[in-house]
Amino acid sequence: MTKILTKHFDTEPKFHELEAYRRLDGYEALKKARGMERAAVLAEVKKSNLRGLGGAGFPTGLKWETVPSEEKVPGPRFVVVNADESEPGCYKDRILLTRAPHQLLEGLLIASHVIGAKDSFIFIRGEYQNQYDIVEKALAEATAAGLLGEVKIHLMRGAGAYISGLDTALLETMEGKKAWPRQPPPFPTVAGLMAKPTVVNNVETLSMLPFIVNEGGEAFAKIGGPKSGGTVLFSISGSVERPGLYEFPMGVKLREVLTACGGPLPGRKLKGVIPGGTSMPPLMEKDLDIQLDFDSVRAAGTFLGAGGMIVLDDTMDAVEIAHNIERFLAHESCGQCTPCREGANWSERILHRLLDGKGEAADIANLSRVGENITGKVICALGDTVGMVLKGYITRYPDDFNKRVKQS
Amino acid sequence: MTPSAAAAMKAAFTPEQERELVAWTKKYPYTNLGLIEALRSVQDWHRLVTPAAAARVAEIFDLPFNHVWSTATFFPTFTRWKTGEKRVGICHGLTCFLAGSDKMEKCLEKTLGVPKKKATADGKLSWEPMECLGACEQGPALQVNDRLIGKATEESILKLKDLK
Repeated sequence: MTKILTKHFDTEPKFHELEAYRRLDGYEALKKARGMERAAVLAEVKKSNLRGLGGAGFPTGLKWETVPSEEKVPGPRFVVVNADESEPGCYKDRILLTRAPHQLLEGLLIASHVIGAKDSFIFIRGEYQNQYDIVEKALAEATAAGLLGEVKIHLMRGAGAYISGLDTALLETMEGKKAWPRQPPPFPTVAGLMAKPTVVNNVETLSMLPFIVNEGGEAFAKIGGPKSGGTVLFSISGSVERPGLYEFPMGVKLREVLTACGGPLPGRKLKGVIPGGTSMPPLMEKDLDIQLDFDSVRAAGTFLGAGGMIVLDDTMDAVEIAHNIERFLAHESCGQCTPCREGANWSERILHRLLDGKGEAADIANLSRVGENITGKVICALGDTVGMVLKGYITRYPDDFNKRVKQS
Repeated sequence: MTPSAAAAMKAAFTPEQERELVAWTKKYPYTNLGLIEALRSVQDWHRLVTPAAAARVAEIFDLPFNHVWSTATFFPTFTRWKTGEKRVGICHGLTCFLAGSDKMEKCLEKTLGVPKKKATADGKLSWEPMECLGACEQGPALQVNDRLIGKATEESILKLKDLK
């Protein structure tokens, strides 16, 4: 099985240390990239079909390409690592930061070289204090070894808001403001941190760069599916015998992933599989043979997201699940757009009423209506998610919802 | 500003803490990039962020009070209630909920003897449900002061009392 990011995890317990990382050819790609024209590195990244693994799936090379040249826009430009992993179900970045901080630093330095950034940032969610310490130590090692060159890498911690994980809200947080997403355009690559051109990339995305530079973009593209290159990490939890982190080539079949992690638990029936974190409606039994890549999952009516896979079984109730997710979204709605601020709270309250056994016949239609009034009418994806989750669970598990109404 | 508010602002920090706050204004390429970290320090020292402390931070960062206060009241890490010295978080994200986080919440309330978001009488401990802590494979996840403990069980919760 082809692995890129976790290749050495089983065999090298000290992969997080500079000595071990270098022994396994670490920082060779950085040396190679620095000896190449910036445009040549960018061309390899484009060829690789690497797509943003923080959830959006935007082609990385294309994103980098929209950074204006120094001639057009002189002055500083930045690369920001988004390590604000907060989507329920996702913990791949936590493990990458713990086990492979140098892989991330090397990727970040390669990106900084291509973008021409002299200041780069790693924004780590505050709850990952253990990981912050590990990255801080790795950064000190890399600095002492003279690997940073002209680049300064700054570490920064978050303060507990889920919305900070969205690129433009992340930039607002870094600037010391409340994390209200910006309405693009301009996109961050044109006007990002302090209105300077800024590339925001996820931990997993940047960690792929050493392989791409070493082996070439084509080799990376060949591993994955037609439009999503390389591998993808799934952090698996829920009704499984072996929860944990799994690396598969992009386009792996869902059935194969479930076999590897042992889901659902013995004696239980599969109810669904949340593919990439709770914002993504579940895949169903009929989807077991679809390929897990950005486009195929989208065609199946949901999103690949950030690999936070949660396996659901027949002992779980769709109304309880939807309530848990909507409660989360209502709590984390930043309050900027009225449809999301009000709608998320209303959905939580109606779902709570259903759970309380006080549901009315009109509640299910009302939930759908509240959802429809949010999706597409707000600045960021959190609001869209409120409606997507409502619709996703009501249409997939109508019996669970109708049962709640009849009881009342 | 009333004289008492001005006095409270002046007395918000020790000289050493003032120096640390000033250091955060210089840590990054732009002054305001240090604000979240500065407020994290304030939360660590005071276990809450008061208007007086925010006003002094605003002075140090040369920002309007409203800017600092809107940031301080937006993020869940910063509180207007006084947390315990050890701030315990129990994750109630979906996987942890499915793994029984609500039972562990009840266990925390019973074991520590205080409702959520209220410190024990000696100020040592407080607990609260938190949004996904990114430790779904160990659900229901438990953390203390931003450090993951692991799976919450009646035993691991009982051990929290030894943290005092």
